[in-house]
Amino acid sequence: MTTAPTTPTSGDTYTCRYCRLQSQLGQDQRSCPTCGAPIDLRAAVSTSGWVEQPPIADMTRIQFGRSRVQIEGDVVPVADFSLHEGESVYFSHHALLWAEPGVRITNHPNAKGWKRMLAGMPSYMLDATGPGRVGISDNHAGEVIAVPLPAGGAMWVREHRFLAATTSIDYTYARNGLWYRTGYGDDRETHYPLGMYDDVFTARSEPGLLLLHAPGNTFVRDLAPGEHILVQPRALLYKDLSVQMGLHLEAPSMAGWSTWRRFQVRTMFLRLVGPGRVAVHSVFENELEGEAVTGGQYTTQQW
Amino acid sequence: MRDMEQFRFSASTVQVEGTMVPVAEVNLAQGDSVYFEHHVMLWKDPQAPLAAYSVPGGAKRKLAGMPHLVTVAYGPGRVAFSREAPGELLVIPLGPGVELDVREHAFVVASHTTAYSYVRIKGLTNLLHGGNGMYMDRFITSGEPGVVMLHGNGNVFERYLQPGERIQVEPGGFLYKDASVQMNTVQLDVKTGMFSKGLFVAEFVGPGRLGIQSMYHHHGSD
Repeated sequence: MTTAPTTPTSGDTYTCRYCRLQSQLGQDQRSCPTCGAPIDLRAAVSTSGWVEQPPIADMTRIQFGRSRVQIEGDVVPVADFSLHEGESVYFSHHALLWAEPGVRITNHPNAKGWKRMLAGMPSYMLDATGPGRVGISDNHAGEVIAVPLPAGGAMWVREHRFLAATTSIDYTYARNGLWYRTGYGDDRETHYPLGMYDDVFTARSEPGLLLLHAPGNTFVRDLAPGEHILVQPRALLYKDLSVQMGLHLEAPSMAGWSTWRRFQVRTMFLRLVGPGRVAVHSVFENELEGEAVTGGQYTTQQW
Repeated sequence: MRDMEQFRFSASTVQVEGTMVPVAEVNLAQGDSVYFEHHVMLWKDPQAPLAAYSVPGGAKRKLAGMPHLVTVAYGPGRVAFSREAPGELLVIPLGPGVELDVREHAFVVASHTTAYSYVRIKGLTNLLHGGNGMYMDRFITSGEPGVVMLHGNGNVFERYLQPGERIQVEPGGFLYKDASVQMNTVQLDVKTGMFSKGLFVAEFVGPGRLGIQSMYHHHGSD
């Protein structure tokens, strides 16, 4: 299903349906000035309510502060930052694709990085400070998603999806407590479907730009208060802090069949409860299935 | 390159098909031939003859994990090639007297008028930290023009470096360069792990063109 296209013109105040921010359109503007989403497309909305987030068009520019970023490519897009004197962005060191020698690259202050290292997360991040250009990219086929945050705004992001952010955005993390256990005795294993930590990005006193990389295509949905939905945990890209989440195990009816007690036909979902915005991406790693769940905090549905 | 784009070399034609994992479909004319690594051949007409060609220094390349035998397909007939990764197929026409260095395992297919050689990457730092293996493929044209097709993972970007101009690139992002472009490894003074310090990047110095790919294997330390 598609909805009627909006055709804003130069000078109009435009509210982007993807980043939800208002901006003034410039001459011949074809993309949202704050997130780069095309403005002249019909919204592609599935019958269930998911809105497909259109990829940022090749060579689209997004201004932030006195610097700008240009999104280049459409298979594995690169964020090509042109940094003004004194302005900086931060990113994981493995996302650095190229840099002009004039750009100052230093370590980003990151408290308790060793905890994240133990969790398999990037523990050391880098700051790139202008003047100069630096290219940042992930290494999976997908889309770069720009999430502009107004002053005071915050966004939850799943681990490993962060690409880069302006230094006006604070980065914090905390254990999420979402886990379950399989196996018995010495074979017990603890699983963290979302990883052990939540990443939260907060724009302090001034707005900032957060860039994420989403493998595959991205879909966004607004959940009404109390509305809930089940998604694959590793497909979640970002969500508003107001959206609550928990694990939910679904086991299909076996129609008289049974399995050995160590095995179980089941799917471990993530239950998201509104109100708020959630985004998922279409390429994801499946939760391991087969081993019987023997512990953890989750709700269950046996069909 | 757009889906279904066609171009010509010698008396043969190539059509590039697909956008996510593109295929190069070569329609070889009588007397023309192309060479390639055998595992990139997707399909062929039964009547197109094949032959093996041993690359000079083959044993050394074998030890370095590189193909030491390439396969040659002769016209007339159609042969199609692809590498199994999302990315772009690059067609690089080479005028007479050009030398092009290419990252290992990026080469898809080249015309018979292009000589295939290799260069050993010099310097222990380049070898240990450069992330580009021990060898680079080198494609050389002499009296006649030729064409080389490469597969770049993700998107591919080219930049022309002026004489003395430098740029630092994640080593896994390097795809190709003119032989005139120098490649060195430099270490950035940043911490990258609890016990590791220093991020190695490849520094390229002009003059010449440099191609990079956006989906790369990270070779830095964690």
